[in-house]
Amino acid sequence: MFGSRGVFAMKTMELHLTVNGQSLNWSIAPGELLLDVLRRQGYFGVKRGCEKGECGACAVLVDGKPINSCLMFAAQAEGRHVLTIEGVAIDGKLDPVQEAFLDHGAVQCGFCTPGMVISAKALLDRRPDPTEDEVREALAGHLCRCTGYLKPVEAVLAAASKRKNRARRVKPLTEVSR
Amino acid sequence: MFDKVEAFYRPANVREALRLLQSGKGQARVVAGGTDVVVDGDDSVRFLIDITHAGLSYIRRRGTASVIGATTTMAELEASPQIQSLAGGLLCKAAHSCGSMPIRNLATLGGNMANGSPAADMATPLLVLDAAVVMADAKGRRRLPLAEYLGNARSNRYARSLVVEIVIPDPPRGKGCRWSFQKLGRTAVDISLVNVSAGLHLDSRGRVKWVRIALGSVAPAPMRAPGAEQRMTGRILDQALLAEIGAEVAREVSPISDARASAEYRREICSVLTRRALEECSAPAGCSL
Repeated sequence: MFGSRGVFAMKTMELHLTVNGQSLNWSIAPGELLLDVLRRQGYFGVKRGCEKGECGACAVLVDGKPINSCLMFAAQAEGRHVLTIEGVAIDGKLDPVQEAFLDHGAVQCGFCTPGMVISAKALLDRRPDPTEDEVREALAGHLCRCTGYLKPVEAVLAAASKRKNRARRVKPLTEVSR
Repeated sequence: MFDKVEAFYRPANVREALRLLQSGKGQARVVAGGTDVVVDGDDSVRFLIDITHAGLSYIRRRGTASVIGATTTMAELEASPQIQSLAGGLLCKAAHSCGSMPIRNLATLGGNMANGSPAADMATPLLVLDAAVVMADAKGRRRLPLAEYLGNARSNRYARSLVVEIVIPDPPRGKGCRWSFQKLGRTAVDISLVNVSAGLHLDSRGRVKWVRIALGSVAPAPMRAPGAEQRMTGRILDQALLAEIGAEVAREVSPISDARASAEYRREICSVLTRRALEECSAPAGCSL
């Protein structure tokens, strides 16, 4: 159990990754989880909930896919693109999903919100026009202990139609007249 | 948690992974998706070996079989046209039930087998498909029937081996061949209280030509129900036979009581889910049910 260098000899390793578009180089312990490293680096929007992959509060996108950062070793993020809730708004402008969460009262205490927004964003990037079932399915890994899921589901559906309308407005005339 | 980990390795191939596992002297742990390894939180681990770069993420055809690399994720299985068209999408349905989207983006097929849980959702569909596990160790590769592997997955027999891939021989064809995956959990993303998979091939007169029934979370390892399968073969599938088979599987399983459900309840659910599975299999074949 006690290695030759003693139990307190903390080994470290280098981690190169991109977080919210920024290329970074961190020193981590080999057994650290991505959740712990992100929070240590100040990404407090990544919430520590159940630490068992059940509540979804720690969700981030890795190469565009939602994952639970409490279940991934930080070392596994080597060379990958991580998006946390801090990187979802661009230049202070909220993502349509974030706007819709505010408009629909889908935020109460806010603890589950970053994870839900992250998963909803990944869904809309993959499926711009999801059914209600698909939205519920995408949010199924995110527990809310305040009130429930109706408002978040409404918000994601509203964000989808808003994004669709925006896309329609910029369509060239020829396509609209068809 | 994992405070004693001294090194994190990312081997680029199976041989390198095995060498690291060998030199870890029992203190190394193989990790892929992490959804079981991290939750286990084994404090004695000193070396982590991440096999997700070892070239084991693939879904291929080989001769008359489908071959799935160990680190293929549940999300990849669900999205694969090859897996969608295999056995009526049986494996897709099971993979889809393996937790939430963020879990399915991490969790791997090999990990689901290597963790050796009696409730492993991918085990029963693979059992009805007569799947085999390809293991690699210092001596080379060998192929084991899945049932044999699952029976020993939690012993230390395979401590110095690696699950490399799962091989699924092409199932019997014909329009009478149908498949079903049934799972009962508290929520849509929960672990199984009981899960049942079935494969059924009826002949033109509605007689059972070929059948497989497998049950999970009701014995020390996921299991086939050979007694029930034998009773069905050659007979017309009607309500009386369904009732008989429901009762037979309840006799064949050996569930325990735990926080999730009592043994009595699980036994009852085995009957119910087996009947549902066989009904789903037989309905589109136009038999008398």
